[in-house]
Amino acid sequence: MTATMHEFRHSAFVAIEDIQLQSALEGATHKFGTGRTDALAEVPEVEAMRDHFKKVRAATLSQLAHHLETFEKNATAAGTQVHWAATGDDACRIVLDIAQKHGVKLVTKSKSMATEEIHLNQVLSKAGIEPVETDLGEWIIQLAGDPPSHIIAPAIHKTRHQIAEMFTKETGQQVSADDIPGLTELARQVLRQKFLAAGMGISGGNIMVAETGSLVLVMNEGNGRLVTSTPPVHVAVVGLEKLAPTWDDAAVWLSLLARSSTGQALTIYTNIITGPARPTDPDGPQEVHIVILDNGRSKLIGTKYEEVLQCIRCGACLNACPVYREAGGHAYGNPYSGPIGAVIAPLLFGLDKYSGLPHASSLCGACKDVCPARIDLPRMLLELRADEVEQRVLPWWESMSERAAAFGLASPGLFKYGTAVIRQLQRPLAKGDKLNLPGKLNPGQSRKTPALAKRSFHDIWQSGELDNKNGGE
Amino acid sequence: MSARDQILNQLRSNERPAEHPEPWRSRRNFPDLAERFTQTLTAGKGEVIRAANFEAALNEIDTILHELQAKRVAVNDTAPLDGLDVTKRWPDFEWFVAGKSEGDIKSFCAGADVGLSGADAALAETGSVVVSSGPGKSRLATLLPPVHLAIVPTSILTSDILTWTAARQGQPGANRVLVSGPSKTADIEQVLAIGVHGPKRFIVVLYDD
Ligand code: SF4
Repeated sequence: MTATMHEFRHSAFVAIEDIQLQSALEGATHKFGTGRTDALAEVPEVEAMRDHFKKVRAATLSQLAHHLETFEKNATAAGTQVHWAATGDDACRIVLDIAQKHGVKLVTKSKSMATEEIHLNQVLSKAGIEPVETDLGEWIIQLAGDPPSHIIAPAIHKTRHQIAEMFTKETGQQVSADDIPGLTELARQVLRQKFLAAGMGISGGNIMVAETGSLVLVMNEGNGRLVTSTPPVHVAVVGLEKLAPTWDDAAVWLSLLARSSTGQALTIYTNIITGPARPTDPDGPQEVHIVILDNGRSKLIGTKYEEVLQCIRCGACLNACPVYREAGGHAYGNPYSGPIGAVIAPLLFGLDKYSGLPHASSLCGACKDVCPARIDLPRMLLELRADEVEQRVLPWWESMSERAAAFGLASPGLFKYGTAVIRQLQRPLAKGDKLNLPGKLNPGQSRKTPALAKRSFHDIWQSGELDNKNGGE
Repeated sequence: MSARDQILNQLRSNERPAEHPEPWRSRRNFPDLAERFTQTLTAGKGEVIRAANFEAALNEIDTILHELQAKRVAVNDTAPLDGLDVTKRWPDFEWFVAGKSEGDIKSFCAGADVGLSGADAALAETGSVVVSSGPGKSRLATLLPPVHLAIVPTSILTSDILTWTAARQGQPGANRVLVSGPSKTADIEQVLAIGVHGPKRFIVVLYDD
């Protein structure tokens, strides 16, 4: 999937027409947004804490190689097998190799944006290994064959009726759409069997803590504990930027993550994994693997886009974004949606393929205000727009017309002359104060494009008419 | 060149000196840690039962197990329960003592009614209980049964995650979980549902020691 300007606009228009989706988006983003505000308000000196966290993230990225090596050393000492993947394909191959070595047929997965990013499920399925998503929302979209529509709530676009129908089809059991606890219980029973039967568990990771070589996974459902505790092998795929040098840093990270995300002080479970089960442990996996994923991240270090790697995937910027709230996640054409997606997708997956995303923003700055790491997303959206011009990823006619406009707008004489000409040319198309442009030529699509007024403001001003009208005092 | 070297070299070529800020310390000062713990965990749909001392806590556990009509109970053989022979004290139940009982712990826990554990620490701010793996400490006991019952002395309460990490010592075991309530989800139309994968009830017996 991609998201050029045309594709983004098209999907956004479809989303805006969908009344059910609009109310789901409105409900979820509003709930998360107010939850976030209330949860942060309860924390002493929270603004200073965010400033501190920003400094931690920036300092960590400046010395990322050093911290990753420390992580590798300590994780290895604890018995974890650390792998490095330059690309998404490499990461998939590493995971597949581990699965095949153990003769695994069934894999349980906990929610992970990184494995969405590298399309791991498709690779496993093709090799005859069944991956089962176990986060309830992820399972729902897996059954539906949809991509996630929100970083935190991947199935917000699905109604309970659609969900009940899919569950019935999958399990053969009748269940009422109005019985949400019943739907949840059914998922519990079906997935519990999968947990117990799986030969391998795959997770993402919220934080790698270098100090102890630990991996931190946060969740509310508990599936991320089952995935990492029940099968004999656990594999985690983690973006290389998700690193906290010390537990002090991780504690601040965790203090901000759930509050920014769902408005909880902490998620129900904060699961910390430091190597496989020790010989004296009564249970736990025999092998733990961590795949450190680059996939285009390392080349951003030292550039004007480095800041985007400070992201902790809390989703707060999605909930705050007026464009996301209308367009929904699917319009972004990749697993990362909202303002963070608009910046990171072009950087990781190609500006040409995602050329519409830097424009999917009114630059209102709401994302930067709510970001726990105070990431300046609006700045990077502008940088990306500039890159588009420089790299000429826009169609020739668009950059030509932009150039012509820039030239004309810079000169009062040309502007006056140009608009006079357009005024004459638009005559056959103008109807009242709107233009009747045919189909594709209409930039406003379902809305009408306004015509140029009969007289310019400049002209009216000069004539002195305004003085007489408003000049009573 | 290996992927590892390729990635690290790329990162190293842009490495800059950086000043890592001094650790952020907790600003919390709760007048009553047990009070705050109880409030927060209860608000998060967990249950807290206060007891005056260890013996009273054991009596509470007795009541809860009978009220739940539990038959099979998995227990972690760890403080403060390690000095106690649970099979003698509560002979009505079928017990699996982690690290001691014979048999497959996974299938026992999958069919158990209650998992009983101690705790390493408890965080007042977030109503969280810290449970670790280790000798006699099963992960599945607190995960697979529909009820997780934890017995927690007030002396292990600390303000928040910041004070907890600030007091850290040594290398952690294989697994450590901060539990802050029963398993929950809001993935179907944002409606809260309790008990999707983990325990449906999380009950803490908090006693003064
Ligand atoms: S950019 Fe900031 S607000 Fe958006 S997901 Fe990342 S950390 Fe959260």
